[in-house]
Amino acid sequence: MLQEAQAVAGGISGADIALAAKYIAAGLCMGIGSIGPALAEGIAAAHALDGMARQPEMQGALMRTMVLGQAISESTGIYSLLIAIVLLFVV
Amino acid sequence: MIKAIFEQLASSLTHLGEKQIVTLQLGSLQIQFDKAAMIMSWIVIGLLVLLALFLRRALLQDIEDKPNRVQAALDALIDLLQGQLTSSFSSERLGRQMFPFISTLFLFVLFSNWLGVVPGLSAPTQDLNITMGLALMVFVLSQVLAIRAKGMKKYWKGYLEPVPFLLPLNIIGELSRPLSHAFRLFGNILAGTILVTIVTAKFAPIVLPSVLNLIFGLFFGSIQAFVFAILAVAYINVAVES
Repeated sequence: MLQEAQAVAGGISGADIALAAKYIAAGLCMGIGSIGPALAEGIAAAHALDGMARQPEMQGALMRTMVLGQAISESTGIYSLLIAIVLLFVV
Repeated sequence: MIKAIFEQLASSLTHLGEKQIVTLQLGSLQIQFDKAAMIMSWIVIGLLVLLALFLRRALLQDIEDKPNRVQAALDALIDLLQGQLTSSFSSERLGRQMFPFISTLFLFVLFSNWLGVVPGLSAPTQDLNITMGLALMVFVLSQVLAIRAKGMKKYWKGYLEPVPFLLPLNIIGELSRPLSHAFRLFGNILAGTILVTIVTAKFAPIVLPSVLNLIFGLFFGSIQAFVFAILAVAYINVAVES
């Protein structure tokens, strides 16, 4: 048993570990990094809908402000995406 | 034949994100640029110039002529832009002054994003250099407008407010704007391209890509172009106001 494990471990080089770490890091980066923007965009949309239901005549202005706010809160998600892309394709 | 298509798709996957760098030597000056991004942005510019010439010719004709379909569509587009963009500026004068620039920015980004849907062509906005160029343009413009609106002394004093201790933070805050502006567009378009390419090459090369292209290329492309223009408006507003 121990010998088998040692044989398997002996076949793993440092480059393999680095490759695995790269993929795990990219996955974690996207997974954790997209929680924040997703929540933020949902909250922005919910409150904008609240406002639209209360004052339907304000729909245009609310829509524009909502899209702007969502785009800004999205940027952290975009940063984590860029880091994931750098991890996958560049590093 | 289907196998050949599959192989071509798989090879496009391995070349994802690769760039063909062309180097120009002008005297002592060395210029490097990405071939695809360069050609695609020239295609977009040519398309926009052709549309403008078409609209101009249509406008020069007799006023009694009924406008044809393309002209009517372009008129409606300009009306929509005027309504959406001019009203988001802090003052109407500024809106009138800045409308040509912001609408040009919007149209360029919109057509760039839509170009990625055409097979064989790629969106120039998936190159960071192009989006960074556009964002720097907005950055320089907003700084110049801020200096013009407030005067040199008040502009530099604005960096020391509310307390001089915050000077580095203010400078970083100012410089991070063009960065996030450029990265937002670039990241969105690149993510869409990568997703569509991976799904096409690995899972479903027949029906799903067209749907995904519709969502990522046309729908998200228009939204991102609108967001880019509105953010430019917001940065200019902030620069002129405070």
